[in-house]
Amino acid sequence: MNTRSIRFRLVAWYAGVFVLVCVAFGAYTYLSLRHYLRSELQDGLRRRAHQIGTSLLLGIEKTGEAFVVEQIRSFYGPELNNRFIRLSRPDGSVLYVSGTPGDMSFEPARIPPVHVRPGEARVADVPGEHLLLLSLPFAVRGRAFLVEVGASTLEGESLLRGFLLTLGLGLPVILLLAVGGGALLIQQALAPVHRVTEAAREITSRNLSQRLPVPGTADEVEHLSLAMNEMIGRLDEALQHARRFTADASHELRTPLTVMRGELESVVQDGALAARTQARIGSVLEETERLARIVEDLLAISRLEAGEALLERTRLDLASLVSGTADQMSLLAEDKGIEVRCLGERVEIEGDAARLKQVVVNLLDNALKYTPRGGRIWLETRRAGGRALLEVTDTGPGIPEAALPRVFERFFRADGMRSGSAEGGSGLGLAIVRLIATAHGGAVAAANEPAGGCRVAVSLPMAPAARNDAPPGGGAQ
Amino acid sequence: MRVLLVEDEEKVAALVARALEAERLAVDTARDGREGLDLATSNPYDLLIVDLMLPGLDGTELIRRLRRTNTEVPVLVLTARDGVADKITNFEVGADDYLTKPFAFAELVVRVKALLRRGPVTRANVLRVADLELDRVAHAVRRAGVPVKLTAKEYALLEYLALHVGRVLSRTMIVEHVWDQSFEGLTNIVDVYVRQLRAKIDEPHRTKLIHTVRGVGYSLSNEDHP
Repeated sequence: MNTRSIRFRLVAWYAGVFVLVCVAFGAYTYLSLRHYLRSELQDGLRRRAHQIGTSLLLGIEKTGEAFVVEQIRSFYGPELNNRFIRLSRPDGSVLYVSGTPGDMSFEPARIPPVHVRPGEARVADVPGEHLLLLSLPFAVRGRAFLVEVGASTLEGESLLRGFLLTLGLGLPVILLLAVGGGALLIQQALAPVHRVTEAAREITSRNLSQRLPVPGTADEVEHLSLAMNEMIGRLDEALQHARRFTADASHELRTPLTVMRGELESVVQDGALAARTQARIGSVLEETERLARIVEDLLAISRLEAGEALLERTRLDLASLVSGTADQMSLLAEDKGIEVRCLGERVEIEGDAARLKQVVVNLLDNALKYTPRGGRIWLETRRAGGRALLEVTDTGPGIPEAALPRVFERFFRADGMRSGSAEGGSGLGLAIVRLIATAHGGAVAAANEPAGGCRVAVSLPMAPAARNDAPPGGGAQ
Repeated sequence: MRVLLVEDEEKVAALVARALEAERLAVDTARDGREGLDLATSNPYDLLIVDLMLPGLDGTELIRRLRRTNTEVPVLVLTARDGVADKITNFEVGADDYLTKPFAFAELVVRVKALLRRGPVTRANVLRVADLELDRVAHAVRRAGVPVKLTAKEYALLEYLALHVGRVLSRTMIVEHVWDQSFEGLTNIVDVYVRQLRAKIDEPHRTKLIHTVRGVGYSLSNEDHP
């Protein structure tokens, strides 16, 4: 589970706060209940003690002790009501003590005598017994009797225990319901966000004309979708503007190039021209050709970016495409004394054969440009991770580490890599390679070899059926 | 032979007209689509060269309207736009060939001649340039009667040059005809092959047949200067 998702955090917070509130409320209720039960009990004891004092003890000298005892027994019935009553004479001897109560919550014989100062009542729990005891000194004509009344606390305790039990059992159930319900609610609330996320993930620079779904609920998610759609719109516009600019600029450059080239060609073919002039015009013509090349490549790029790449999809073997192309270019390598070797296994891919061939041409041409005389170039095709991989490794000077991530950018040339205009490249070869690869659902990467030289890798999806006979776990590394 | 050129760019029009006039063709020039259509429907031209981006009536529309009445005349489209979709559209409305700016004028002439069916006699089985002989059936080459062994690509290159004897062919044209479109931009491959070809064809002999015109391209010719 993703502990950083909004859903998890909301549920966790919600559950935490809920538990806290429940516990606080339970504790408050428990404490108030206990307090209420105790004060009720105390009030009853106080009332009873006074009653015994005023109605019985005040007349004890007239009625005699036996009457008082008789009255207490018949009127209060302490054993039946789980109560404790003890009357002590001023000399401390016990006048009356009640018997063992029906619920056995205390044993009257074990309750120690209590000493209180005259005029002071005292309430206390008796240690070891479930009994709350009130001791009240009561003076009758100067003689200080002691009235002690007590009540069993068992009933209140069991009530409180029951309350705690209910709380202890009920809380987890309530918590479970709350968390489950909360998670469900949050999931429902976040579902539109999830849909927006999924839709946003689908949108890349290739399909910026798409928009996110707008739920039409006039809520925050709708505002988010609308705001993101506006942003995508602006991006789309900016990107289209940039692409249109490239395409338009290239078109506009073509006509003046035609004129320049045409005029210069007709001049240079005029036999009356001095050799030096002819060479100069030739040099200008070479640059015109290079300019035309750049314009062509820029247009190719803008067309690739506009998604015009895959007009003809055919199934082909990458290895034979590579070796066939390398064969056609072998003379270029021989001319520079470079050994080109094709290795690897048959890998079926699907795509536009001409564009894919362009990938091989550009990669090999690039490697040939930067590999010194007598060097070597390997072209290896293999399967890796369920994909077709073409790696071009050379023994050239490699690419400065800092420049590696940028080699597929347009017009990129690292310092020291520029080998002069004699090569006549447009500086767009690798950029085109990347665009063709991505148009086929592939990717490109460049790395330096530990032993020197660099390796450019193009990975492409395999043709659907070929993917099935790929080795399990995805190829040898 | 009379050619109608519909091109709004003055300088391009002048250049094309000059190149075609040098081939002894009569050239009329129209500067916008409407004028082009008027001229094309009222005169019996042997060939139309139409730029696509024209004021008034664009090239595609011009061809579409022209084809309603005239399905015969060949049409060569000149354009700065070369998306594949554009090409298909124009072929569908009735263009016969397509040339993208900036083009080599040698290529324009070659294509115009092909459309006028006045091009080099490609049906000949043996091509001869001075003492060089190409047997197009056996793919065999002889110089001064001595057989020369060529690779397939070398032969294809030599044959392409021989088919356009005396004409300077640009490296781009050569790449497009002898290799394929993937090699566009890889024109240095032509230099290497030409060097190889020279070593086999020209080096042992006093008269050099393969000529370089710097910045333009190569030609096969008997003359010292193409």
